[in-house]
Amino acid sequence: MKIKYISLVLLALLSTACEESFLEQVPVTERSEVNFYKTTADFNNAVVGVYATLKNPGLYGGGSGALFSMSEIITDNTDLGVTRQPVNLPIFEIDDYLITISNATVGAAWTGHYLGIARTNAILDRLPATTIPQASKDRFEGEAKFMRAMFYFNLVRFFGDVQLLTSEVSSPYGANDLPRSPAAQVYELIVNDLKAAEEKLPATIANAEAGRASRWAAKSLLGKVYLTLKQYDNAAAKLKEVVDSKAHDLMPSYASVFANTTSFAANREVIFAVQYLSGQIGQGSDMWSNWAPFNAGTVLLGTGGGGGGGFNRPTADLVKAYEAGDVRKDASLLTTYKNAQGRDVADAYVVKFRQQGALNADSDVDFPILRYADVLLMYAEALNEQGKTADALPFLNQVRKRAGLADKTGLTQATMRLALEDERRVELAFENHRWFDLLRTDRYMTVLTAKGLKVLSHQKLYPIPLREIDLNKKLTQNTGY
Amino acid sequence: MNSDFTSRIRKRTWLLLMLGLAVFLTAHAQTTLTVTGRVTDETGQSLPGVTLLLKGSSNGTTTNAEGIYRLSVPAGNAVLVVSYVGYLSQEVVVANRSTIDVQLTPGDKTLGEVVVVGYGTQEKKDLTGAIASVSSKDIQKLPVSGVDQALQGQVAGLQISQSNGAPGGNTNILIRGIGSISGGNEPLFVIDGYPVTNSGIGNPLNTINPNDIESIDVLKDASSTAIYGSRGSNGVIMITTKRGKAGKARIEVDAYTGFQQVAKKLDLLNTRDFAQFVTEGRNNGYLDNVATGKVTDPNSVRPNSYQIPSILQGDLSKLPDTDWQDVIFRTAPIQNYQVSASGGTDKLRYALSGGYFSQKGIIISSGLERYSFRLNLDGKLSDKLTVGVTMLPSFTKIDDVSAIGHSGGAVVQAALSLPPYVPVYDANGNYTITYQPTEGDIAYPHPVQLANELQINGTQFRLFGNAYAEYEILNGLKFRSTVGADLNYSKNRRFDPNTYNPVSVLTNATATNSEATNWLTENTFSYKKQVGRHAVDAVVGFTAQNAYANSIQAQATRFPDNLIDNINGGTVNAGSEGTTVHTMLSYLARVNYSLNDKYLFTATVRRDGSSRFGADNRWGTFPSASVGWRVSEENFMKGLTFVSDLKLRASYGLTGNNAIGDYRAIGQLRDANYVLGNALAPGLGRSSFTNSLLGWESMKQLDLGIDFSLLNSRVAVTADYYDKRNTDMLFSIQTPSATGLTSALVNLGEVQNRGIELALTTRNTVKAFKWTTNFNITFNRNKVLAMSAETEKIFSSALGRQVYAVTQVGDPIGSFFGRRMIGVFQTNEEATTYGKQPFAKAGDFKWEDINNDGRIDDNDRTVIGSPHPDFFFGFNNNFSYKGFTLDVLTNGMVGQKIFNSTFSINTSGVQNQIQEAFDNRYVSPTQPGNGVYGRAIRGSRNNNTVFSSAYLFDGSFLRIRNVSLGYNIPTSVVNRLRLGSARVYATATNLFTFTNYNGFDPEVSGSGDDVRAAGLDFGTYPQARTITFGINLGF
Repeated sequence: MKIKYISLVLLALLSTACEESFLEQVPVTERSEVNFYKTTADFNNAVVGVYATLKNPGLYGGGSGALFSMSEIITDNTDLGVTRQPVNLPIFEIDDYLITISNATVGAAWTGHYLGIARTNAILDRLPATTIPQASKDRFEGEAKFMRAMFYFNLVRFFGDVQLLTSEVSSPYGANDLPRSPAAQVYELIVNDLKAAEEKLPATIANAEAGRASRWAAKSLLGKVYLTLKQYDNAAAKLKEVVDSKAHDLMPSYASVFANTTSFAANREVIFAVQYLSGQIGQGSDMWSNWAPFNAGTVLLGTGGGGGGGFNRPTADLVKAYEAGDVRKDASLLTTYKNAQGRDVADAYVVKFRQQGALNADSDVDFPILRYADVLLMYAEALNEQGKTADALPFLNQVRKRAGLADKTGLTQATMRLALEDERRVELAFENHRWFDLLRTDRYMTVLTAKGLKVLSHQKLYPIPLREIDLNKKLTQNTGY
Repeated sequence: MNSDFTSRIRKRTWLLLMLGLAVFLTAHAQTTLTVTGRVTDETGQSLPGVTLLLKGSSNGTTTNAEGIYRLSVPAGNAVLVVSYVGYLSQEVVVANRSTIDVQLTPGDKTLGEVVVVGYGTQEKKDLTGAIASVSSKDIQKLPVSGVDQALQGQVAGLQISQSNGAPGGNTNILIRGIGSISGGNEPLFVIDGYPVTNSGIGNPLNTINPNDIESIDVLKDASSTAIYGSRGSNGVIMITTKRGKAGKARIEVDAYTGFQQVAKKLDLLNTRDFAQFVTEGRNNGYLDNVATGKVTDPNSVRPNSYQIPSILQGDLSKLPDTDWQDVIFRTAPIQNYQVSASGGTDKLRYALSGGYFSQKGIIISSGLERYSFRLNLDGKLSDKLTVGVTMLPSFTKIDDVSAIGHSGGAVVQAALSLPPYVPVYDANGNYTITYQPTEGDIAYPHPVQLANELQINGTQFRLFGNAYAEYEILNGLKFRSTVGADLNYSKNRRFDPNTYNPVSVLTNATATNSEATNWLTENTFSYKKQVGRHAVDAVVGFTAQNAYANSIQAQATRFPDNLIDNINGGTVNAGSEGTTVHTMLSYLARVNYSLNDKYLFTATVRRDGSSRFGADNRWGTFPSASVGWRVSEENFMKGLTFVSDLKLRASYGLTGNNAIGDYRAIGQLRDANYVLGNALAPGLGRSSFTNSLLGWESMKQLDLGIDFSLLNSRVAVTADYYDKRNTDMLFSIQTPSATGLTSALVNLGEVQNRGIELALTTRNTVKAFKWTTNFNITFNRNKVLAMSAETEKIFSSALGRQVYAVTQVGDPIGSFFGRRMIGVFQTNEEATTYGKQPFAKAGDFKWEDINNDGRIDDNDRTVIGSPHPDFFFGFNNNFSYKGFTLDVLTNGMVGQKIFNSTFSINTSGVQNQIQEAFDNRYVSPTQPGNGVYGRAIRGSRNNNTVFSSAYLFDGSFLRIRNVSLGYNIPTSVVNRLRLGSARVYATATNLFTFTNYNGFDPEVSGSGDDVRAAGLDFGTYPQARTITFGINLGF
């Protein structure tokens, strides 16, 4: 009988002593929300997480991202040089102007941008209450607001009215009834965020921090926002600040702007860019191998360089758009390559982001989002729209001169508009500007239909993704879809 | 009341209950007497190893080598139950006799058979739950690496499909259908009472030698599984290993060896047909995509994709006709050796074995090897104290080959795709270069080179050990304590040289070391008592279990050469460590009560606490109840002598599924790294919501069953109807992107599995020629009843295919989802008239406009078929005559569809294709094909290769799974050879399959265990046909 009682006591001990703690298990090799957002390092990691959103497939990452399809392929600049297969159907839908409400590329863009916005909101919610040094606090706030503005600016241009969130959603059901806010309200937030960002962000970025946002990035973006809003005086004033600061300048050689051999310190032209790094650590760029001709193979891309994706293929129309003697042409695209037998194959492709010898999807070439040539041309546009065509002309010619082209002279406001449109097309080709330029000037129907492209007028906005409407009955669809 | 206090109260209540029950159960004591005797067979020969059990208790013994037993029983009306495999059980009233000899008669063994249930055993006749048993004899008929493969077709309600033919490849095991959408669907495996967690390399059941298994019991309904609480809802498979029986030492040697070959090769195009196919595909694509194109245009003006290789425009008769299947498949040996010894006295019994199994794969460079050992000891230290141990060490080694998936990195699809005009080796005997294509062809890895040079190896050491001590506190009342551990150490190594595809592969290597340790302690009181007409059998217990898993991985790249085939040869560029811990505490209780041996009642309850569940929902309670009525024991049935047994059963209960993953209730952050200052910058972003209420999935199951046997048990039938409702499922709801996350884990939704199972055993002839038939059939209907929203669709795919499956309300989980092909356009006019497919031409697929908007796009997708069978069955016949035995096992599935993606991807005039698709394709209005296959076209503007019903094929099959012929060498010869017994046998496995399916094998699933994307055939590792010869010697 003794053993019985002993065992009962043992059983009782075993079951009471450690029950709750025994069942309390937290991740030991993964970070959880429990202990995060405390130190400067925590916030820094969170800000890096915001920048990392640039490599989301909805922006620039994972097969070169959704942005090139939605802002280059949809235009007369490029098409999809891939053999048609179901897997690339979403991009062909954009190329063919047959965009459906369930288009996966459009859906990815929506999701990717909101992911970035959520990450900025998580930081901005928590910053006021922290005790980290004020300088860090200011900078993180500036960076988060700059990035949030950029995400919303893309969204509002692609989709029009969008859901406006300025703080983190902690419940899965927290956005189920959130309707779209008028575009004007979204722009208000963008402008306010950028105004705060230009105050809080530093004027210079140390080499060790290359890739972080500067004051000039905020001002350039704000200038672009004003230009889009047709607030030309504000735009001109803001862009003038960038020009007058002399913080940035054109690089003497067009090709060196994109060369991975140009260091951050030396590259005065790039104001803000997606940062890439080779080394098979998931941080390389795929713009070279992905945009090389479909199935080009080793002769072009080298051992381990990939097969060639054929995405973002320059159209014949774009090839023609370069004036004779324009040095930017060969630095931007080529029209033939040699196959393994040494024969020429006629297939145009982008060489702007070429890095010979890079491994497949692993090149170092950064992708500019804002650069000085864009600022100059925007500034010229803002001045011209205010009727100051003569004042605008030198900035246009500054860009042309670097391209090895003669100055333009004797332009009227109307011909200046066309000259800027053409100049932006070739100067900024494959940098995701063309569609926004044509929308800003409301010329997308005129320009594209003249070239036989079957764009429809309602396609100035992309459809709100079906997935989102299914989850939220308050979301309305854009007209025409 | 705070929650801490509540839980303490809860705890105390449980303890009090258990203590009270224990004290109550110990309240009796009786005097004993010792009975001895001899047990013989029908001819008077002694029977060693016969089990004698005091009825209504777990007190028992077995006969020794001379058939003698000795057992203490309580004075009075004690009844001995004498049972032995293959003989009718007998019940003998002791009536205060001290010597009782028993003669057993051979016969139906099923009723007296002891069935292993959770935390105990029961006689089959007393069962009220739905439990099916498979004996070692039925498992060992098949020469397979894992017991799961041997169970195929043997048990009603148990659906096993071997989705991967690789040695040690994955099998899908489902008991009564797919219960969970996002959680695990695999049943709980319990080895000698120990619920194990599967881990390690390949299929974890490979680490257990099937020859070490004595019996398998499949627990299907809630009554039998609720004792496993939050792990019971997918059913439980109880594996019992062989233990020693008192008696003379018995040594057995079992050996078989044989060979395997691919069961079916595909009929692919030869070079002449291929050239025709390519020319058509490229020309059609060219004309459709390039407005100015003409068929006569030379390659120099065509885009790359539409060029026709010059070699195919020359003299085809000079080109080889390579069937690449011939070089990746081989005849592969299989062998198995095992030596085992067992025996002992009534004080100490032992069973031990050592085995070696080796199976080469039918695809070159694949195989499995296993060394396994078993040591089972049971010692009776005193009349009251018994101790025992189970030890199952094993070492498994897998040589893997990248077989499955896209041709870019897998052997099978590469072999099926490569042009037949390409020779395997060049003039110098080197591998032909296949990765530098020109003129519109595409790159492939050379399949032979890929198989030989890409190295994927794994090893696993598993030590499963469990020890118990059982003390009889009072007559009928026992305390049992077990402590066990399941230790797994595995290693995976991968070396990928850039030799077979330097275009996109850079030499890289990965090394992973993993450890999974699991410990368990269980403490139970059991009580067995019969008083007059009342018999009670109860168990209460407490268990604690901890599962720890850790894995460390390192990757290297930038290899200067390929001389060192491990991470040390390059620069290590990534490494990671992952650890998870899962803990469980449980209280359990069961009472079986029978009245007059006619009316049977069982009630069980288990309470589980698990670290996986959210902080606010940590404990779940899982009750069940069942009743049985042995109608045949009623007086009014006594006249019906043709009825040997008749029992009605009903059960209802609640079980759970805790396979929701670790830490899922806790909001986590994930790496979101970036580059700053030209260096990697670590960043973080939220990756999941916190849900402190996240818990188990709840399964309510009703089971109605009938067991009856007729004509002196010549015919035995078990039939069950079940209705399972899984609610509060682990559910990844879609969340608006505006939240920053696109999904969240919550408990919701409902899935139903309803079905009928029927198992029929007939002993057709019983004289010198014996013929037994086992037939089982299962009809299961799976249906999603509720999700977060009526319109919600979970899309799924596998192996990088486009979406082909949907899970939505009203349909089975993972239904095929795509466009409905309603024909092939016969003329361009027909396509234009249809008007809904702007780019369609003659020969393109015509799809139904599901949403009637005048345009065919992704919004015209609908459910177009199910990957799940309407029913599946096993039909097994055993014949014996004198020393000969013949076993024929067949099984089949009917009604399921398969997405043949191999065929769909190869329809463009680029890859090779099956002859059937070539012969029946659309060419022109005068050569329209059979209306199922469209035209060959590359880059179809109509997007013909979009997933549609055109690529679904009927997967019904009937398979002759196993034919085994054995011969027991006559005793006279055996004795002369000084052997105890000797048997020789020959086995043919997967002998023939009747099916209309056009792929390798209809038993296929490219998605592995992901049931939401089942039914995909895409570069599958095909099944083998195996012929083996074996010998079994006893000493």
